[in-house]
Formats: sequence, C-alpha cells, structure tokens
Amino acid sequence: MKKLANLFYDAVKLNPQKTAIWCDNKSVAYNELADLVSKYSNFLLKNKVAYGDHIGIPMNNSIESVALILSAANLGVGLVPINPTLPLDAIKTAFSFGNVKHLIARQAFYEQVDKSGGLNVEGEKFCIDGEYDNTIPFSDALNMSCVRPIIKEVSGDETLIITMTSGSTGSPKPIDLTQNNKYQRAIAHISLYHITKEDVILAATPLYHSLAERLVIIPLIIGGTSILLPRFTPNIWLNCVKDLKVTFTIAVSAQLSQIAELLSSPFIPEIDSLRCVVSSSALLEPHVKNELIKKLNCEFHEMYGTSEISTATSIYFKEAINHKQSVGKPLPEADIRILKDNGELAKANEIGEIACKTKLMCNGYYGMPEVFKASLQGDYFMTGDLGYLDDKGFLYFSGRKKELIITGGINVYPSDVEKCVSQLSEVSECAAFAYPDERLGEVVALAVVVKPNCNLGKRSIQIQCARNLADFQQPHKIFFVDELPKNAMGKLEKFKLMEYVRLHCPND
Amino acid sequence: MNVQDVILKLLQKKYTIDQNIDIESLNYVENGYVDSLGIIQFVVELEEEFGIEFTDKELSDPDFKIVGKLVKLIESKVMNHEKS
Repeated sequence: MKKLANLFYDAVKLNPQKTAIWCDNKSVAYNELADLVSKYSNFLLKNKVAYGDHIGIPMNNSIESVALILSAANLGVGLVPINPTLPLDAIKTAFSFGNVKHLIARQAFYEQVDKSGGLNVEGEKFCIDGEYDNTIPFSDALNMSCVRPIIKEVSGDETLIITMTSGSTGSPKPIDLTQNNKYQRAIAHISLYHITKEDVILAATPLYHSLAERLVIIPLIIGGTSILLPRFTPNIWLNCVKDLKVTFTIAVSAQLSQIAELLSSPFIPEIDSLRCVVSSSALLEPHVKNELIKKLNCEFHEMYGTSEISTATSIYFKEAINHKQSVGKPLPEADIRILKDNGELAKANEIGEIACKTKLMCNGYYGMPEVFKASLQGDYFMTGDLGYLDDKGFLYFSGRKKELIITGGINVYPSDVEKCVSQLSEVSECAAFAYPDERLGEVVALAVVVKPNCNLGKRSIQIQCARNLADFQQPHKIFFVDELPKNAMGKLEKFKLMEYVRLHCPND
Repeated sequence: MNVQDVILKLLQKKYTIDQNIDIESLNYVENGYVDSLGIIQFVVELEEEFGIEFTDKELSDPDFKIVGKLVKLIESKVMNHEKS
C-alpha cells in the first residue's frame, strides 16, 4: 500500500532544491515544503489532533493548504474541505456528515460564521492567517521542529479527503477518498497522459474539489512542479501558463471556453510551453476546441467521469474527429456498461444509464454504506448520466438522469435552490433548472409561481438566495410564471421548463 | 463600518487580498476576487447591506468593477437615499 506522505518525502530527497510548488507569486522548493509539512504535522500533534481525526477546512488555493493536505496524509488525518462561501447551515451539515472534530479556517471565515451564530466543534479551532478569539494561531506552527513525525498506524487505507457531492442543506453524499484512492487516481492519470517529473502542472480549480487536489498531488509525488492558480480568470491562467512555462493541465470546460474567447482576441502572447491540455466536466463546442488546439499548440484530450469514479473515459482530439461528440474509451482501470431501466445491458448505440466499474472508485460515502450500496449494481457505480456505447466501444454522453445543473464545472442540485426559495411565504411553488450560458455552460434558472394576491419581486428572491445559498447556487435567471408545466398526473415536467419560459416569458 | 471595509470583507470571503495591492484601483473581477458565479451574490449582499438598489446601467458600467469607483457610487447612493 502506497502512502502519499512517504512518496512526497522520497521526492524531496531526490529533488531538494527543485521548485515544488508555486502559488500567487510565491514559490517553495521541495526541502522548504517538506519543512513546512513536518512543522504543520508536529504542530497538529501538539494541539491534540490525532490519527483518524477529521478536520473541517474552508479551503482556498494556497501553499499552506497544500502543506495541510500532505500533513494530513502524514498523520493519517482526514480533511473535509468546503467552499468558504457556503451558508452556515450547509457548513454545519457538511461537517456533521464528515464527522469533523477540528476546524482550520481564515479570520474572515470565523468573523462571518460568528455573525451568523457561530460554529462549534468538539476539538480545536485554528486560525490560519492571524489571530482570532478562542482559536489557536497557525503561525505558531513555524516554531515547531522540522523533523518529520512518523505515525505507525498510517497504512494508506485511511480517509484523506471527504468531499461533498452537493452544497446541500439537505443530505449531501460525503465521498470518502483514502490515501490509496488518491494514489491510484494519480498514477492512472500519470500513465494516461505520460506525465513525468519534468512536467510543470497547473491546477486552476478550487482545492476543495478533487480535480485540483489530484493536479497538486501528481507532481508532488513524482518530483515535478505544481503551479496552483490562486484564483481563476482567463487572463491570470494565460499569463501563468506563459510565465511559468506550464506543460500540462486539466481544466473544466467552462474555463476553457473563456480561455478560447480570450485567445481569439488580438495581442495575446504566443503559448509554446504546453505539451497537453485535458478538458473535463462537459464536451467543448467544436469551434472552441479548434481555437484551443490552434492557439495552444499542444495535445488535447477530453474526459468523462464523476467524483465517485474519477476519470472513466478519455479521448484524444485526433480520435474525436472520427467519433464526434464521443467522450472516449474507458481507461485501462475502468469498464463501462450501459444499463436499461429494467437492469438489462443495452445494445450498441442504445441509450441507457452509464455504469462504471473501476479500480479508481472511491471508498464509498462516509458513514453511509447503505446509500453507496444502493448506487451500485454489482460492482458497477450507477452514474445517473445517460449515454450509449458505439460498436467500437466509444462512449457518448446523452444527458442526465438525475436532476443536476452543472455551472462552471460545479454541480448544483435544483432541490437545494427550490427549498431555499420555497421558504418565502409568497411563493406557491418553484422549480430550478439549467439555462444554457456561453461562459459557464449552464447557469441556474428559476421559475416561480407566486401565491394569489401576493407580490413578490426578483430582488426579494435574490436576497433570500444570497443569504441562504453559496455563490455557485445563485439563480442567474428568474422567471415569474402563472403555473409550472405538469403532466396529467400533476407531476412537474422539468424538461419542458426551458421551452415553457421561452413561450411565457419572452421579454425576460 | 465604512463602505470600503464592507466591500473588502465581501471580496475576501474566499481569498485574502495581497497587502501590496492598490485597493482604490483594484479591478476585483479581472483579478478573480469575484467570478461569474459569485457576482450576483456580491451585488445582492451590497444592496442589502446598504439598503440600495443598483440600476442595470450601473451594473454594466466598467467602473462598477473598480473598488474605489464602487465605493464612491455606493456612498452617493446612500446619501441620496438618506436625503429622500
């Protein structure tokens, strides 16, 4: 069993002076990062963080966050990273589902939650960027020993990251990723994209998502260089790729659409360092893909996967010419089946639910073995996505079985938005749905039916959402309708909503 | 709390702004402190905090994205609101 911290410290021995990571104009060599990881590990141990404990962390992209991930691996501690803009109720739910004992956060986070009633944890609270009442300043860690503490119990089988499938105030599914899961996933991508220690690998998505975690772990266990974008804008991305000579990255398709738009404008510097770019989350429009291939001068792949199964299929752009709109063939670690509603295998070119068996499968839903079992059919994980395989084994994505809006690569569950808006007393009923958007792929749209004799403006709905939902869950479009489209049985027909609002709200 | 402090608090929910940055001229959208996903929440929170409402014209003005200019806009709207 491979242990991530051992692999990292091995890489340190071989490359002590090499740049391990760059973030926000600060770079750190392998030996410096190892010192930081050891100091953090010693500091956490001293402050009663023990093997098997879970730490909640509203995570931002920083070298400190990466050092914390490696320290957690070193100590056999689990992290529950969350989006810092989640509303307090969702944070409490996530931490409760993730069995969080301790909390590491920025001052701004503590101030914000204290304004909303505070957040209690059973263990210690640490402030990572200064001092705050009733918290332990993380700066004290810098006075600790830089001798690596070894915890004998660490096997690699323990939880390293628990990532929530939703920012839901309802029932999130806490995806349990062990060190071994993270290792297997890293190795699969290293092999698939021929990544070596010479690569300079860019992570441009938030570290509280598994994609960025993977892109940071890959270089740090093989002696490569990790570039962690503090925040994403197409300009920051391009300048970073050019100035730091990035060779490899995986980006979400919504980011790449924005980058392609920027690349088509004049006065853009030539990019000549990239070896390979991979697009994830959704298929790119052909003109966007062509623009990227032309301007970035590199290999181009697209992939399909979910947080539970990691990458399941991948396609190289030259293959894609003959298999337009395909998301590719399964990785060597994975097998794909298409299952019909009655559970039977679909024939070639027949649409059904995409099911995947893979060595890269997560360890389950933390504390919810029955829920995870229910999402399996035999050894195959039911993705909730619809698609088909052609006679050559290429997978095609056709839509989603489960209700989901993917905005900028982030999943939004419509029920979270609907629950929040339904709390307004003027609302009779409402439905959240995906609305196409050039920059973000999809944005959250909302159709609202107001109770008779009640007045309700968009502003009241926006305020309700701003207070109770995270930034990515905010509705970008709000339509007032007299009723929602329903079938004869009175069941809401969500797939008709787009057409319905076009017809009934032509001026919105 | 003054207008600039409120804006800076909202902008720093996810990322701390570097101390060496000139806040007055900071374009918080171009520099990624608020992205396409976060802009709606940012605007609504400002409106709620100061009891004002931005017009579509104000929201689409490039000056809206500059911290110093946004501070002035909010101050003038708050003053007009109080007068009326």
